[in-house]
Amino acid sequence: MKMKTTKKKTAIASKKSLIIKKKTILVIEDERPLLAVVDAKLKKNGFGVIAARSVDQVFNANLEENGLGIISVKDIKEAFDYLNDLEQIDAIWLDHNLLGKENGLDLVKKIKANGGRWKNIPIFVVSNTEGQKTINSYVDLGISKYYVKSNHRLDEIISDIKTSLR
Amino acid sequence: MNKKTFTSPSDDIILNLKVLAEEKESARKKLVVTAAKLAATAKKLAATAAKLAVVAEERESVRQKLVITAEEKESVRRKLVVTATQLAVVAEEKESVRRKLVVTAKNLEISHKTLEAKVLERTKSLEVVRAKEGAILLSIGDGLIATDQNGKIILINETAERLLGKKKEEVIGKNYSEIILLADEKGTPVRPEDHPVNLALTRGTKTTGTTYYNMRKDDSIFPVSITVTPVVLGGKVVGTIKVFRDITYEREIDKAKTEFVSLASHQLRTPLSTVNWYAEMLLEGDVGELNSKQRNYLDEVYRSNRRMVELVNALLDVSSLELGTFVIEPMSTDICKLARNVIHEQKPQIEARKIQFRFSCYKEKSMMRADPKLLRMVMQNLLSNSVKYTPIGGKVALSITLADKKHIQIEVSDTGYGIPRKQHGKIFTKLFRADNVREKDTDGTGLGLYIVKSVVEQSGGKIWFESPHENRGTSFYVTLPIRGVTENQR
Repeated sequence: MKMKTTKKKTAIASKKSLIIKKKTILVIEDERPLLAVVDAKLKKNGFGVIAARSVDQVFNANLEENGLGIISVKDIKEAFDYLNDLEQIDAIWLDHNLLGKENGLDLVKKIKANGGRWKNIPIFVVSNTEGQKTINSYVDLGISKYYVKSNHRLDEIISDIKTSLR
Repeated sequence: MNKKTFTSPSDDIILNLKVLAEEKESARKKLVVTAAKLAATAKKLAATAAKLAVVAEERESVRQKLVITAEEKESVRRKLVVTATQLAVVAEEKESVRRKLVVTAKNLEISHKTLEAKVLERTKSLEVVRAKEGAILLSIGDGLIATDQNGKIILINETAERLLGKKKEEVIGKNYSEIILLADEKGTPVRPEDHPVNLALTRGTKTTGTTYYNMRKDDSIFPVSITVTPVVLGGKVVGTIKVFRDITYEREIDKAKTEFVSLASHQLRTPLSTVNWYAEMLLEGDVGELNSKQRNYLDEVYRSNRRMVELVNALLDVSSLELGTFVIEPMSTDICKLARNVIHEQKPQIEARKIQFRFSCYKEKSMMRADPKLLRMVMQNLLSNSVKYTPIGGKVALSITLADKKHIQIEVSDTGYGIPRKQHGKIFTKLFRADNVREKDTDGTGLGLYIVKSVVEQSGGKIWFESPHENRGTSFYVTLPIRGVTENQR
């Protein structure tokens, strides 16, 4: 899906408006096959999707895939500022265990600590980790809902997301 | 005499005749005399005979008396014979008793000797035991410290010395709470008056706990499991015994177990989720329509995968119950509302089996202190069992009542297959499935009731059931404390 550099700028402009209309979900899931199926199902349901497999990737990758180009950011603040300006993320689909050093909880902490509009984005944690302490930590940070991945259908979670975005 | 001679009489003849007559006369006279004599003699004889008769009579009487006497004698003799026999028997018995006494005496002698030997042996073994006990006390893997009634240390074993890094000589005779420092969970030193040894001495209370830390000589601390017991003699505390153990390793294992459970849950569930979601999309026609055969096949894949998910969930529940990592988080919970949710979730199954379902709750907003997650698990398991093991068109009822002022009762009853009587004892066993349902339905892990029982009991409740006859239904009863249990967050 690599695009030529020349087309990139126009693509950004056209996709941007589309994404805003579409409602965009940021999906962060480390398992490639799962990421792919969530992506497909969300798109099938009319969502725009930004996918990442690590907290780091949230700020650096996949943007190109979505016609947004590669952005390199120096720090989280810069990343948030950038995303805040550029993207209209409506909800986050988040796994707990991720590639890299940081897990989903680290991301939620950052998002909530960072304040601004991101603070209020509904977060749906979809993970197979069932530790009550972990779940409680997420709930205490104010996430929308915690799902044990293997116990729920994609339909169910997407329907909850839709309800929350209505 | 001849009368013819008379006709030719002669004197001679006549004389002769006369002489003859005279002789005859004389003879007659003599005969008379003789007759008289004879008569006299006869008389005498008669008299004699009479006398003899009397004598005979007397003799007879004597004889008869003698006969009677003889009979009496015989009877006496017989009696004597009987008595003699009896005496012989008695004599024999006496002999037998005497013999027995001899045997008993011998036995007593043997017993006495054996007893003496045993006493000796026992004394010896007691000495051995005492020596062993001494050795055990000093060398057991647990630390052991004994104090007198003033809290002065009178005994410390090798393990305690090693664990605390203190020598026997340094501690014997010293006051316990001054020399052996104890810290609580947060590492704060325990005040002498709150020290378990002092509690045992002053109040006679026994303390057991795993939330203490002991301080070594170099001031480093280690987690300990302790038991402090007062030694009571005649109602008076005369000392204390503290047994303690370094539980650093156990803590580490505990942590490793928890980590393993969490890791395993993640690892097993990821591929299951993948199959689930891909199958879901395929079945939904998200990537093109399937023909009916393909749909059927895929449906099998999907359903088997769901079963696997359930099995993994159950296994994870079991392991966390067994590892003690099961978290109970009691909170104010509306049990009736929760029950309605559970019923709502199972509506498809209830309808599919055309079950006549009845629900009753003793009052709306029936609040109790419980972990809703666990309470849900209990009701879900019992209800799904009832629905699954009741023939199409049968009846299932869930009712929530007050058992007493302090307990709530959940009853799930059905008109289903029941539990075979001979398997009543096994129904809560892990991985057990009753024969009658195993024949009818291959689905089921044999873990549900095991989990339910563990959860109920860990929540301070009770579970039991009634299933008097096969194919006549089953009723499960659960009672739980309304005020709930303390949480056990780890």
